[in-house]
Amino acid sequence: MKEFNLLEKLERAKAPPDFEQKVLALLSERKEKKRVRKRQLSFSFAGAFAFLLVFFVVFNVFILQKKEPMDLAGVKKGMPAAFGRGGDLEMRDYIPIIETVDYSNERQSLTHEPKTIYILEQVSENILKEIKY
Amino acid sequence: MDEQELVRQIQEGDEMAFAEIVKIYKNRIVNYLYQLTGDYQKAVELSQETFMRVFFKANKYKPIAPFSSWIYTIALNLARTEIRRAQKVSMVYLDDLQNIHKSGAFVSNPADSGLSRNLRQALNSLHPRYKIPVVLKDMEGFSLEEIAQVMKRPIGTIKARINRGRNYLKKALEGAMRDKSEAPKNEES
Repeated sequence: MKEFNLLEKLERAKAPPDFEQKVLALLSERKEKKRVRKRQLSFSFAGAFAFLLVFFVVFNVFILQKKEPMDLAGVKKGMPAAFGRGGDLEMRDYIPIIETVDYSNERQSLTHEPKTIYILEQVSENILKEIKY
Repeated sequence: MDEQELVRQIQEGDEMAFAEIVKIYKNRIVNYLYQLTGDYQKAVELSQETFMRVFFKANKYKPIAPFSSWIYTIALNLARTEIRRAQKVSMVYLDDLQNIHKSGAFVSNPADSGLSRNLRQALNSLHPRYKIPVVLKDMEGFSLEEIAQVMKRPIGTIKARINRGRNYLKKALEGAMRDKSEAPKNEES
């Protein structure tokens, strides 16, 4: 027995005549948008990667550059120049001692060479020049 | 061609298969969304969006359920979002209203304005919890199992909701008929 159906009386709505064309037009529009978004995304990733690479290089070359022995000894630039010219009295009390420690050599010396620590001391009062090894 | 075969072709990006699916389902989906939202223009827009999702999300379809259940689920989710949004924003601009009328909105047949109009009012006032299963069952001809799949609820719950929805509609119609029969008496007195 068929049950009583109220909604049979209700009028059914139909899609407008150009519905299919509109849907297909919308589809090609969305496809194009998707393609553009994909391209933008790949460019963004490439840009972000390039930025990180540049940042890494700049950080390593200019900021984390290897410190000189002078810097390690805490000698400020211009301080040696003041030494010989009768500059600041407090400065004169300083005798800069530059000590370099090469751990790789020390480790090697355990087996082959006697234990030696080199203490390099400035003895002249002339303008300090960096000692190169 | 079999629907499953059409969906498989859509998954490979075939637009001809997609056009075929649109042709098959356009009226059913527009009508379904119209019954749920009560707004023809909105129903057409949501139907277009439903088909867009069918195309772009075709890979998510698994052939364990009928394709019709899947497409109705998409339409239902869109309708729910729209109903929720409409409840929040109840303000309509006058320009928009004029545009809706100009764009050829669906106009019901004035010949059956009596019962049909009352039924439409009753259906629109029905809570979506009851309206959705009633429309799927009585208008779209879905089985209880299919409705349960679309709504992701147990069959017992669906059955109960359909009964309550139908009863509400009957009562609403009886009330409307009573008011109509009492109206002339009041006018006479």
